Order: sequence, then structure tokens, then C-alpha cells
Amino acid sequence: MITIENLQKVYKTEEIETTALNGINMHVAEGEFVSIMGPSGCGKSTLLNVMGLLDKPESGSYRFLDTELLTLRDRDRSAFRKKNMGFVFQNFNLIDELTVFENIELPLIYNKVNASERKKLVNEIIERMNIVNRNKHFPQQLSGGQQQRVAVARALVNRPKLVLADEPTGNLDSAHGNEVMELLCELNEQGTTIVMVTHSAHDASFSNRIVNLKDGHVISEKINKSRSAELI
Amino acid sequence: MFKLNIRIALRSLLRNKPAALINITGLTIGLTACLMLLLYVTYERNFDRHDARTTRVYGVMTNVPDGKGGITATFDGTTTALAPMLRQSLPALEAVCRLSYGSIRLIASGEHAFKKEARFAEPEIFQMYGYRFLSGDSTTALADPHSVVLTASMAKTLFGRLDVTGSRLRYQDQYDLKVTAVIEDLPLNSSNRFDYLMPWLFYETVDPSAKELNWTNYSFITLLKLKPGIAPETVNKSLVTLLKSSGSDSEQPHFIFPLQRLHLYGKFEQGRSVGGDIEQVRLFTALALGILLLACINFMNLATARAGRRAREVGVKKTLGADRRSLVFQFLTESMVLCLISVALAVALAELLIPAFNSLLRVQLNVGYFNGTTWLALLAIVLFTGILAGSYPAFYLSSFNVIGSLKRNAPLRRFLPFSMRQVLVVVQFCFAVSLIVATLVIYKQISYIKNRPLGVEVQALVEMPLEGNLKTRFELFKKRLLASGAVSAMYQSSVKLAHHSSNFTDIRWPGMQAAVNRVMFNKVGTGYDFIKTNGIKMLAGRDFSPALPTDSGGVLLSARAAKIMGLKDPLGKVIQVMGERRTVIGVFADYVWDEPAKTNNPMVVQMEPLRGGSMTMRLNTAHSLEDNIAAISKIAREMNPAYPVELSFMNQVYAGKLESERLLGLLSRIFGGLAILISCLGLYGLVSFSAEQRTREFGVRRVLGATLLNIMQLLSAAFLKLIAVALVIAVPLSCALMNTWLQGFEFHTSVSFWTIAVATLLTLALALVTIGLQAVQAARANPVDALKYE
Repeated sequence: MITIENLQKVYKTEEIETTALNGINMHVAEGEFVSIMGPSGCGKSTLLNVMGLLDKPESGSYRFLDTELLTLRDRDRSAFRKKNMGFVFQNFNLIDELTVFENIELPLIYNKVNASERKKLVNEIIERMNIVNRNKHFPQQLSGGQQQRVAVARALVNRPKLVLADEPTGNLDSAHGNEVMELLCELNEQGTTIVMVTHSAHDASFSNRIVNLKDGHVISEKINKSRSAELI
Repeated sequence: MFKLNIRIALRSLLRNKPAALINITGLTIGLTACLMLLLYVTYERNFDRHDARTTRVYGVMTNVPDGKGGITATFDGTTTALAPMLRQSLPALEAVCRLSYGSIRLIASGEHAFKKEARFAEPEIFQMYGYRFLSGDSTTALADPHSVVLTASMAKTLFGRLDVTGSRLRYQDQYDLKVTAVIEDLPLNSSNRFDYLMPWLFYETVDPSAKELNWTNYSFITLLKLKPGIAPETVNKSLVTLLKSSGSDSEQPHFIFPLQRLHLYGKFEQGRSVGGDIEQVRLFTALALGILLLACINFMNLATARAGRRAREVGVKKTLGADRRSLVFQFLTESMVLCLISVALAVALAELLIPAFNSLLRVQLNVGYFNGTTWLALLAIVLFTGILAGSYPAFYLSSFNVIGSLKRNAPLRRFLPFSMRQVLVVVQFCFAVSLIVATLVIYKQISYIKNRPLGVEVQALVEMPLEGNLKTRFELFKKRLLASGAVSAMYQSSVKLAHHSSNFTDIRWPGMQAAVNRVMFNKVGTGYDFIKTNGIKMLAGRDFSPALPTDSGGVLLSARAAKIMGLKDPLGKVIQVMGERRTVIGVFADYVWDEPAKTNNPMVVQMEPLRGGSMTMRLNTAHSLEDNIAAISKIAREMNPAYPVELSFMNQVYAGKLESERLLGLLSRIFGGLAILISCLGLYGLVSFSAEQRTREFGVRRVLGATLLNIMQLLSAAFLKLIAVALVIAVPLSCALMNTWLQGFEFHTSVSFWTIAVATLLTLALALVTIGLQAVQAARANPVDALKYE
């Protein structure tokens, strides 16, 4: 589904140049659950941002279902993103002024889904995420685990082809963290492609494949046999 | 989406109550000022525009030459002979009308006597103004010489009802008149107002100077109505040739000026309109817009200061697929919601303030709620303010890039060494400082004019109209008052002490260079004790004396008159005033009349037979004021029962001359105060935000040993620097501006060092208090709490 070739990304400030991505090549198949791991500053978040079209590399190629995305104009990138991708962040990034229901509804609004359809889709996903009795609450009234569930629900409500998760359990205790990981696994089993950045080997063990980055390079890849059997 | 935006807007208002409060307070004040302005400007702009027929009406203006080829003054007074000649010889005119100046005269229905504004006019006035007749009609209303037209409220005052056509009235306790028509009240914003109107034919009976056709007495108004399609310039051209060929000895060039513009553009220099009340309208507009701008700046600053908080929301929304347009739209919605709330409050506030405003400015404003344009204007204000206040934050906030804003603490890029927010704070305080300077200078100028020696001892000096029986029995009245001990000296005169209206040029003196005098002189006709009563200083010679019968042919000159005549030793010289030979018996020091900030026309004072006018009395200070007034009133009522007793205190009359300056001072105080209030509100918001942001930093500093004062200094310094910049910019600018304003007064004070010092210190003090309030709070916070906070 995703083919990345020779990605190059350099951050410049007045004094320092930091190479975040240094010729990355990578492939993600449809239905895969890939973890990206590596030490701080290895470029894993940058890679995820590039995949999510939130950031632009200097050079290289990024094809998604045979469409080259790096040459798209901003508006088309934004349109492509909202149609095909969902995001889960470490710090949830829910909007404080909106209720659970409204937060989840937001991507549908931007995709111009009509109101009755929106209501149906949001209620469906709320049920699936087991947060029905929380849909009138505001984010700050929920626990971290619940907030992340809402964030996952928001990432999925649009039925994206690809979910990008940036340390989704980073702000959660282990019980809540596990809950979220199980949720992601479940989604993956239902066919959603997931790319996740994580520090935690435990979290990574939920995925099919682990890609290790260091200094902007892919240094190793490991198939997680226990979970990739059904894929191969 | 729109509903969602509104929801976000309202919730974010509720979540940030202090910021919302500051914004709404500021915007409400700004919008109230703006609304009042709108009403006031509409009122002023609609002067004499109530009726379509007035568009073709022009007033004939007269230029007063200075004798050196220039023009000293321009006014709307004309002679009696002008109108008949124009009527006869200018076919471009549809109608010509002579009109008297308004004067307060006695009118009585039986026992009910009132002194109200009276005017005399030719019937053509009905073609000039669109009066609405409640009874009677324009063809017959002024046909009979003894007819009178009443306004509705005049009819109610006199009779208690409106259907009074045919009723009898008595004018000045002398003439019987018949009511021929009742018209609707004239709007306050119309010139040539009156309470009752009488025919010119009757005027000729009352005042002989109106009957005689002459070219020298400029005491009457002439209005013209041009035929459709006639350009005023052509009339002006024919006017000049006509006046030359008519053989009139009038050298005063006339020109015509649109009646509808006269109110706002009625200030003339060298015979050209150079503005007038329009300046006040413009000033007021600028002030109100400025105040609104200050409130908008508060909104912009608080919105962008809170950018950090909103940045995450922007990032999330962008990630979820929001494009920039929808975000701009969202932030604009937020400012619109705020404006809507503020406009609603502002309308309520304006409604409360309008009565006070009306009495303050002596105008008649009201909000026309049933008027489509009112709502349209309100909508326009909401949109304008919302966009003005909201566009910068909207574009600023929506420009955040996704990654930076999601990380939250990514520094925002800067193109300049200072932020827009700092610039806006400086702009705000520039405005506030300028208003403080203006207020101080206006105050100083008013006190300067007030403290200028009047040349008259105004304390214990009162005046009273000379009318009715008193005109013929003045000497007896004077004798009785002096005998009663209430009055120590008094005189009668053709004009009031503080206002003269008898300008003339027909004067000759020994050694006069020109063939004809072109300098406007002023004449006061009086009896004995003019100098004694007023306490005017004699420079040479003496007052009129009853002991010397020849004094009836004498004349007193003002110092300025003597100077203009160039008489070295004026005493004993014989001059000619309006054809009569008079001997100069004294020269007195100039005193203040008409405009206190201007040099007056030269003046001659001469003995004249009684013709009515005014009496001026010096109260006997040996008795109490109440006793004196009671004694005068009692004697006046006995001798002149038809007239109410009207005593005016001269110190109040003189104080009234500074009315427009007083108004300006009041407005600048109000607006200056508001500007400061709004600016300080905004500053308070910014400081509190900055304190909140730096809580952790302050906590760390406290732990490391910083004192309360250190923290306060830290927080204040950044803001005080901005105020200092504003002072450096605004003080010289406003001083220069106010200097120009002062130049408009012949007698004026200057912008002094203390003005600048007071303005600077006041601004700094206010800013310091505002900042200090917050700084103390921030510095006092428990350092541990601060550290836990993040």
C-alpha cells in the first residue's frame, strides 16, 4: 500500500542542521500493523509526520496506492489526508471546547458528511469503543485511557485506510495502555493498516513488523512471527 | 459547521472569563461610543435636510472688507433693500424671502404670557422650508399683517390645545394678532428656528428699520430659492454686476451659499468656506472610531496572546482535514459572536446615555428602532468590528503549521525584532497619551481665556431686557431702584454688554485717509453711567455727565477705535457717526464681548434716545443678593406687569461664552478616560496572561532566591518599555497637534512643560498600577504551586 523511497529530511535552524531522515526506504502492505522504533531523535516521528502528510521531505518518493503524494499541492495533500488517514497522538489532542461526540464528529464535518449520516457513524464508533455513556462529556472530564479511546474513535470514524499512531500509550498507565493496544490490534484484524511509532517493546510486540531507525536510517526490520502468521 | 463554530466560540468565551470580560467591556464601550457617534453625525448631517425643497435654497452671505482688499468676516446678515431688488431683476430665482433673526419676545393669550422665540418673514418662507401645517395653509398664513403662525408646542403652551386657528394673541403687550396656522414643531436640527412666526408686513410696523429700504443696515436674513437647473455660480456672477449697476452704495460683496451646508460649513475665511461644525463632527468621528479601534486591539492582543492555547486546536483540526479557510472562518465567527454580544449591550447602554448626551450637546438624538436602516447599520457595525478585531487573530492563528502547533512549545517564527502585539500596545497607548495631552491643553486654554481680564467687573453685575412699559418709564424705574438701595448704578443700552449686534461702517474721523471707511465698527447707544456701572477703565476723558447738556452729542471711543482712527489726542475731536457729528469726550479700555478669544471690532458708545434693548445694573453689595433681586423684581413687576422679570448674571453670561470649548473639554475628558480605561484593561489582560505563562519561570526564580520585587520588575519591564515608546512617539505628536489647535485662537496659551510632564506621569502611573496589580499576584504565588503547575 505504501512505498517510500530514499526520503531525505533536514531541519535547519540558524546554527545547526539536523538530518532527520537520511535516505529511508520502506514498504507497508495493506492490512499490516507496523511499529517504528528507535532512540530519541532517530527520526521516527518525522517519518510518521511525512507519512501523514503533515511534513514535507526535501527529496524522495512516497507512493500511496500508486499515487505519488510528495508532488501534490497543499490543498490536495490536505484533501488526501482527510479522506485516507486517521491520527492518534501521544497527548490525545482532543479539542477541549468540544464534547466527546463533537470531537469524534469533527473529521466527518470536514469531509462534508451530512448530519444524519454523521450521527449514525459517530454512534456506531462510540458503541464500538465502549464510551457510550461518555458522549456528552468534555475531554477534561475523562481519564487518560478514556481520552485516548475517544482519540482512537476520532481517528477511525472516517474509516481511513491508514491509521498513524504516535506513541499512543505514552501518556497512559500500563493497564490503560494495554487496553488501547488491544483496541488497535482489533482494528488491524478488521483490516485497517496501522503504522505506530513507539518506544515500548511491549507495545511493539502487538504489531506484525518492527522497523528500527537510527540517525535517519532504517537499521533493521523484524517480523513478529506470533502476529504475522495470518498475513503471510 | 457554522453551528459548531458558534458552539466553540461560546464555550471558549465561558472558559476564559477574564479575557471575555475584558473583550466585552472594551468592545461595549467602543461600540457605545460608535453608536452615539453614528446618531450624532446623522443628526448633524441632516441639518435643514428634512424637506426636499430646501435643496435649492441659498442664503445670501455678506463679506466684511478689512479696507486693505481682504475680507475680515463673512456673515449671513443682509440689508432690507437687497431682496426687493433681487426679486425684480434676477429671473433665475424662484423665490426670495426676507427673514428676521430670532429674538425672544413676549406673546400672551389672555393672562398667559410667555417669552418665546419670534421671527418675522415674508410668505415666501413657505416655499423654502417644508413646514407641515396642522391647520391653516401656506397661501393665507402670513397674508394678513396681523397674523401669527404657531408651532404645535407653542400652541399647546399658550392654549393647551392645537385647534387654535382664529384665536387672538397679544404681542409684546402692544399688538393684537390672529392665529392663522399651526405647524408641526421644527426639528432641533434646522436653522432659522422659531416658536412663532409673524409677517414681514407686521415687522415693518414694529421696527421702522425693517420698513425703510436701505443698503447700510445688515440686520436681516435673505433666503433665495433657485429655479431648477440654475447653478449658484451664475447667480453669484449676476449678483456682482447687479449690485454695481443698481447704484446702491453698498460695497459689501454678497454671495450665495447653500442653506443645507451653512450649519456644518459655516466658517468663512476671506469669503470662502473653510469648515465649521463639520470639524467637530469629524473630531467626534475620529474619537469614536479610535475608541473602537482600541477595543479591537484588545481583542487582537488577547486572542494572539492566547495563541499557544489555541495552537493545538488548530493543529488537530488541520490534521483532521480542516483547511485554512474554514479556520479563518471559525475565528472570525468567534469575534462576531463577541461583537454581537457587545452590540446588544452597547445599544442598551446608548439608550441609557442618550438623554444625558442630548442635554449635554443640546441635540435631539434617538434610536429609530422601527427603521430598517438602523438595523442595517447595526449589522454593518457588527460585521465591521468583527472583521476588524477578528481578522488579524484569524489569519495569525490559522497560519500555524501542524507539527509546530501540536508540539505546543515550538517557538513561533519572527520576521521583525518586535511582535505585532507590541506594536498594537504602542498604538493603543499613543492614542491614550494623545487624548490626555489634548485634555490638558484644552483645559489650560479654557482657563487661560477664563482668566483673561474681561475689562468689566462682572461680579454683582446683572442685566435685564428693556421692554414693555419700562421703555417709556426707564428714568422712573432707575430712580426707584437706586432709591431702594438694591442697585448702586445702572444704565440702559441698545445692545447687551456681552453681545453687540450693531455693526456699521458709516463713520468718518479727522485725518481719515480713505474716501469711505471699510472697517466694521460697533455702536452702543446708551444713557448715563455706562462706564460707572460696568467698571470699565477710562484711559482718557470721562463718562457722559448729566451736568453737561452738550454730552448728548458726545461719543466715547474704545482704545481700539482710537487706534484704528490713528487719533493722537482724541479728546475733543469731532467724528461723524452715521452722518451725525459727535465730539469725543473719552477713551475707554477695550473689554471682552462676543468671542472671548478674539479681538473685537472697534467700538463707539454714544448717547441715544431710548429705543429698548437692555438694562445693566450693579447690585448694591451692602445688601444680600436675595434682597437685591427681590427688590428689583418687585419694582419691575409693579411698573411692567405684562412682562416676566428676567435677570441674568453677567458672570454666568460670560461663562456661557466658553460653551463650545467647555463641550470640547468635556468630550475630550470622557473619551480620554474611556481610551485610558480600555487600554489599561487590555494591558491588564496581557500582563495577566504573561504572568500565567511565566508561572513556572517565576517559581524557579523564587526557589533560586529572587525577591518579590525582582519578579515584579521582571514582569513590568517588558510592558513599561512599550509604554515608554508610546510616550516618545505620542507626546511630541500630540503637542504639535494641539499647538495647531491653539493657533486657531487669537488669544491662546501654549503647550507647556508641565502639560507634557503631567501627561507622561499620569500615563506611567496608570500603566504601573495596572501592571503592578498583576505583578504582585504573580510574584506572591507559592513557588511550589508554580512548579507543580506544569
